[in-house]
Amino acid sequence: MLRRNIDVFEECKNKALLKFVIMLGELNCVKEMFLLELLEGEKEFILEQVSEILKNNRTERENLVPLLQKVQGVLGYLPEPAIEKIAKTIDIPAVDVFGLATFYNQLRLNPPGKYQIKVCMGTACHMIGGQIILESFERRLDIVEGETTPDRKCSLERVACVGCCAIAPVVVVNEFIEGSLTPTRVDGILLQFDGDDQEEEAGEQEQEQESEGGQDS
Amino acid sequence: MSDKVTITIDDCKITAPEGEKLLWVALDNDIYIPNLCALKEKDRPSASCRLCFVEVKGISDPVTACTLPVTEGLVVKTRSPEVDRLVKTAFELLITDHRLGCKKCPANNSCELQKISKERGLKYKSKRFKPFEKDEPIDESMEQFIFDRSRCVLCGRCVWVDHHVAEVGAIGFSLRGIKRKVTTFGDYDLADSPCTECGECVKVCPVGALSFNE
Amino acid sequence: MSSDKSAEKYLNLKTKAKEKMESLNEKTVVMVGAATCGKAAGVIDTREALKDEIEKKGIDAQVVEVGCMGFCYAEPIVVISKPGFPSLCYGSVDEGLAVRLVEDYLVNDDPCFEYALVALEPNDYFPVFTDFPRGVYEKKIILEQCGFIDPEDIDHYLAEDGYEALAKTFEIQPEEVIESIKESKLRGRGGAGFPAGIKWDVCSKAQDDSKYVICNADEGDPGAFMDRSILESNPHQVIEGLIISAYAVGASKGYIYVRSEYPQAVRRVETALEQAREKGLLGDSILETDFSFDIEIFEGSGAFVCGEETALINSMEGIMGVPEHRPPFPASYGFRGKPTLINNVKTLSYVPHIIRKGVEWFKSIGTSDSPGTAVFALVGKVEYTGLVEVPMGTSLRNLIYDVGGGVPDEKDFKAVQIGGPSGGCLPESALDIPIDFDSLHEAGAIMGSGGLVVLNEDDCMVEIARYFLDFTQKESCGKCTFCRLGTKHMLDMLGEITRGEGELNHLDTLRELGEDIKKGSLCGLGKTAPNPVLTTLRYFKDEYEAHIKEKRCPALMCMHLLGFYIIPERCSKFCSACVGSCPTEAIYTRDDQLKAIDQEKCVKCNSCLFACPPEFYAVEKLSPAELVEEREREQG
Ligand SMILES: Cc1cc2nc3c(=O)[nH]c(=O)nc-3n(C[C@H](O)[C@H](O)[C@H](O)COP(=O)(O)O)c2cc1C
Ligand code: SF4
Ligand code: FES
Repeated sequence: MLRRNIDVFEECKNKALLKFVIMLGELNCVKEMFLLELLEGEKEFILEQVSEILKNNRTERENLVPLLQKVQGVLGYLPEPAIEKIAKTIDIPAVDVFGLATFYNQLRLNPPGKYQIKVCMGTACHMIGGQIILESFERRLDIVEGETTPDRKCSLERVACVGCCAIAPVVVVNEFIEGSLTPTRVDGILLQFDGDDQEEEAGEQEQEQESEGGQDS
Repeated sequence: MSDKVTITIDDCKITAPEGEKLLWVALDNDIYIPNLCALKEKDRPSASCRLCFVEVKGISDPVTACTLPVTEGLVVKTRSPEVDRLVKTAFELLITDHRLGCKKCPANNSCELQKISKERGLKYKSKRFKPFEKDEPIDESMEQFIFDRSRCVLCGRCVWVDHHVAEVGAIGFSLRGIKRKVTTFGDYDLADSPCTECGECVKVCPVGALSFNE
Repeated sequence: MSSDKSAEKYLNLKTKAKEKMESLNEKTVVMVGAATCGKAAGVIDTREALKDEIEKKGIDAQVVEVGCMGFCYAEPIVVISKPGFPSLCYGSVDEGLAVRLVEDYLVNDDPCFEYALVALEPNDYFPVFTDFPRGVYEKKIILEQCGFIDPEDIDHYLAEDGYEALAKTFEIQPEEVIESIKESKLRGRGGAGFPAGIKWDVCSKAQDDSKYVICNADEGDPGAFMDRSILESNPHQVIEGLIISAYAVGASKGYIYVRSEYPQAVRRVETALEQAREKGLLGDSILETDFSFDIEIFEGSGAFVCGEETALINSMEGIMGVPEHRPPFPASYGFRGKPTLINNVKTLSYVPHIIRKGVEWFKSIGTSDSPGTAVFALVGKVEYTGLVEVPMGTSLRNLIYDVGGGVPDEKDFKAVQIGGPSGGCLPESALDIPIDFDSLHEAGAIMGSGGLVVLNEDDCMVEIARYFLDFTQKESCGKCTFCRLGTKHMLDMLGEITRGEGELNHLDTLRELGEDIKKGSLCGLGKTAPNPVLTTLRYFKDEYEAHIKEKRCPALMCMHLLGFYIIPERCSKFCSACVGSCPTEAIYTRDDQLKAIDQEKCVKCNSCLFACPPEFYAVEKLSPAELVEEREREQG
C-alpha cells in the first residue's frame, strides 16, 4: 500500500478530481491492483461522488459497465470503496464487479499518471517501429507498459490502431495525437512535460500572487 | 422433455431423456468422457476445459459432449484419432499450467487429471511444451481448507457453486487471458472475504486447488 | 399500416431538406474532413485558419465539418464548392495553404489546380475520380456519401434520398423485407460472412414478446477503422439500416455497441439519434405508422473479444465479456434471453441501399456468391493508404497496385495481410485470387473485419505473425484451455525464434498446435488466432528456417538478430549526426575521427540510420549480429 501526500489530496478534492494525485512510494503501479491506501476523508469524498452518480442513473446489473465508466470518468479510476458501494447498491457480489474492472482494458483500479501516454501498436505503427518507440518510453521512464511512474507523472499504455496510420508511428498523450515519432522525439516529448509543469507552476504562483495582491488592495 | 430417445455411444444402444447433454448420458452409463468444467446442475455449460470432445456421425469436426443435447438416432464415438489428438493437446496444455507433484497433493488419487491420464494413457511430461512453472502463494487463511492457486485449472466449478448453490459471492474470476484467475474481491485472502466456510466449493474442485485440511 | 401517410410524411421531410440544401449550395461551401484521422493530421488548425481568413476577407462562405473521404495519405482534406466551379478536393491542406485557398480561390477565382487532388463532378478543367486508375476499380456504395455530407445534420442525409428506404419498407410486410435481403444474398461483413437474410429469418420466426437488434461497432482489429469512419461520416445510414432490420424481425429496441475508444463516433451517433427522433424517424410511431422503435448506445470498455456476439451480449448484461457456447445462437436466445439480431455496421449500411435501389442492382455488383462491395482499410507499404471500397471479385493485384498505387520507394512487394489478427498473409503468387469470402478462405486468409496491410521486403514474416499472435494472446478472454494456454505457448515459441533461440522442431509443434487451437477453441477468437502463423508457415517457411538455422533475419527486422555497423569508407569524419541521435550514447568517435558503435550499449532503435545524412548513408544493418564483429575484424 502506498501513502499519499495529503496537501495534494486536499487540492485535488477542491478540483473534484482525483486524477492527478501525487503519490509517495516505490512501486510502479499496475492498473489491475488496488494499491492506494486512502487518506482520511478521501473515502467519504469518493462515496459522495459515487452516490451522486448512482442517484442519477439506473442501478441494475445491466447498467454496471456504464456506471463504472461514469465513476472512472469523474474519479479517474475505480477506488475500492467505489466498487464496494456500486456492488452493494446493485446487490451483486463485490467480487463480480472486481472481475469486470480487471477484465476490461479501459477500467483501472488506481489513478493514471498526469500524462497518459498511449503508444499505438496498430498494425501500421508496429510495422514501422512502434515497438521501438514503446521501448524508448520504457527506457526513459523506467517502467514497463501498463505501469505508472512512482511519482504519478506518466503512465504508459499500448493501444490498438488509433486510425492515423498515414502518420505512423503514433503516440497519444492525454488527448493529443503526435505522429511520425522517432526515439529522439520521445526525449523531446518528455522534456516538454517538464516544461509544461514548470509553466503551470509558474502560472499558479502568479495567480496566487495576483489573488493575494487583489486582497491587499 | 420426458420423451426418451435411443442413441448409440461406441456401438452401445442407450436410452436417455431427450435433450439431456451427451456427457451426462455417457457418464450415467459408465462410459467415460474426460471432463473438468461441467456441472450437471448448470443449465448453460461453460464448455471451457475443452476435454470432452467426441465424434458425432454426420459432423466433420469433434464436438464437446457437455454441450450436445441428445436426439433420436444420435451416433457417437468417444474415441477417434482426431478426438484423441485434441484431448491430448488440451491435457498437455493444462498440465503445463498446473503445479505437479502428485505425491504431496491433497487430491492424490482423487484428481480428475490423474483419471484422464489413466483412462487415455496420457503422460504428465510434455515433450512439446515447456511448463509455465506456476508458483503462487497458497492461501491458508481459512481454518477448514486451503487454496493452492498453482494447481487450479480454471474449470470455474467453484465460482459457480459459490454464486448459485451457496449463494455467498466470495470468489469469482478476474483478469483475462493467461492472467485469468479465481480470486476474492481485491485479490485478498479468503479470510477477508464474505466466505462462510460452507465448503461447497471445495467439494466440486476436480483437482487439488481447493482442499480440506486434514 | 397507414403507409400513405408515412410516405407523405417522408416526402415532406425530404422536400424541406432539399430546399435547405439548395439554398446552402447557392453559397460557397468549404467542407473539411474532420473524422478522427483528419483531426490527428491537424485539421482543426486548418479549419480555424479557413474560418479566420474567410471572416477577415468578409466572404459569404460556410465551413462545414464532414467525415472521412478515405484518402488518409492526403489528410487534412478540404473540399470547396463554389458556384460556377466544379467542386474540388484538396489534399494536405495546412494553415498556409488554407489561407492561400481563401485568397486565391474564394476571393480571386483561381482554383489553385496545382494543389487539387480531384474534382467531384465532370468538368473541362480537372480530372474526376473515374479518370484515375483508382476510380476504375473502386465502386462506392456505403462509403459514397462519407466525407461529402455533414454527419451532424440530418438534412444532408435526407436530401440525398436518406430514409427513403425506410419509408419504402413501411409499404411492404416484414416478411417481404426479409425475402429481399435473402434474395440479395447479402453476407455479414463482421467477419464470418454469414448470410444476413437467413439470420434475420431465424430471428423473425423466433416466437417471443420482445426482441432486440444490435449493431456491432466494436471494431477491435488493430489495423482497421472503417466502422468508425462510417459512424463518424454517415451515421444515419447505419441507423436507417438498423430501423429496417428491427421492422423486419419485429424488434422494439435496438442498441449500437460502440467502442468507447471512439469518442467522436459516439458523439456523432448520439447527435444523429437525437435528430432522427426529432424528425419522427425514431421513437414512437415512426413516420406516423404504428411501428415504434428506439435505439440506445452502449459503450464497450475495450476488449477485442467483446466483438464476439455472445461475449458482446454478456458484457451488455453486466457480466464479464466472455463468450458462450453456440448454439443457442443469439438470433434465438440472446440479450436478456430474447431473440437478438446482431449485425455489423457495414452489413446494416448496405440494407437501405438494397431496399431503395433493388435486389437486382445489388446482385449486379460483385460475384454471385458474394455480391456487393468489400471495404478495406488499406495500410502499410502502399502509396495511397486509406479506406477503399471495391466490388467483390476484384483481384488483390488490382486492389494493391491500381487502387493503392503499389509499393512505394521502389521496394519489392512481399505479402499482404488480410483480416487482421484472424486473417492470414498471402504471398505474391496469391495476388490474382479474387477478393470474396470463399476464395480468401481457401487461400488461408479470411475477409475478416477488413484490415489490409501490404508488406514489403523490409517486413519480417515471423515478426508479423508474432505481432498478431501477441495481440490475440493479450486479448484472449482466458476462458477456454486451447486459446488461453495454446496461444501463449505459440507466442513463446515465436518469441524464441525471433530472438534466435528457436529450434527446428518448433515449426512442427507450431503447426500442430495451431491446427488444434483452431479446432478446439470455444469461440471465433481462438478458432482464427493461429491463422497468421499457419499461413506464414505455409508460404514463408524459409524465413522461419533462416531465423532458426542461421540466426539471421532476412528482412533485417528482428532486433535480437541485428547489428548496426558504420561503414568506415562511407563515414564522413566531420559529421556527428549519428552521435547526437543515439539515445544511449553508444556511438563514439574513434582515434581516427571515424564513428563506431558500441554493440553492448546499442538498443537497435534505428535512430542513427535515419540521422546519417543521405549523402553518406554510412550506417548499415547486418544480420546475423555476429557479422558486425566480423566486419570490424576485417577492418582491423
Ligand atoms: C473475436 C471476435 C471479434 C469480433 N469482432 C467483431 C467486430 O469488431 N465487429 C463486428 O461487426 N463483428 C465482430 N465479430 C463477429 C461477430 O461475432 C458477429 O459475427 C458479427 O457481428 C455478425 O454480424 P454480421 O452477420 O453482420 O457479420 C467478431 C467475432 C469474433 C470471434
Ligand atoms: S477461444 Fe479464446 S477468447 Fe474465445 S472463449 Fe476461448 S479463451 Fe475466450
Ligand atoms: S466438460 Fe465439456 S468443455 Fe469442459
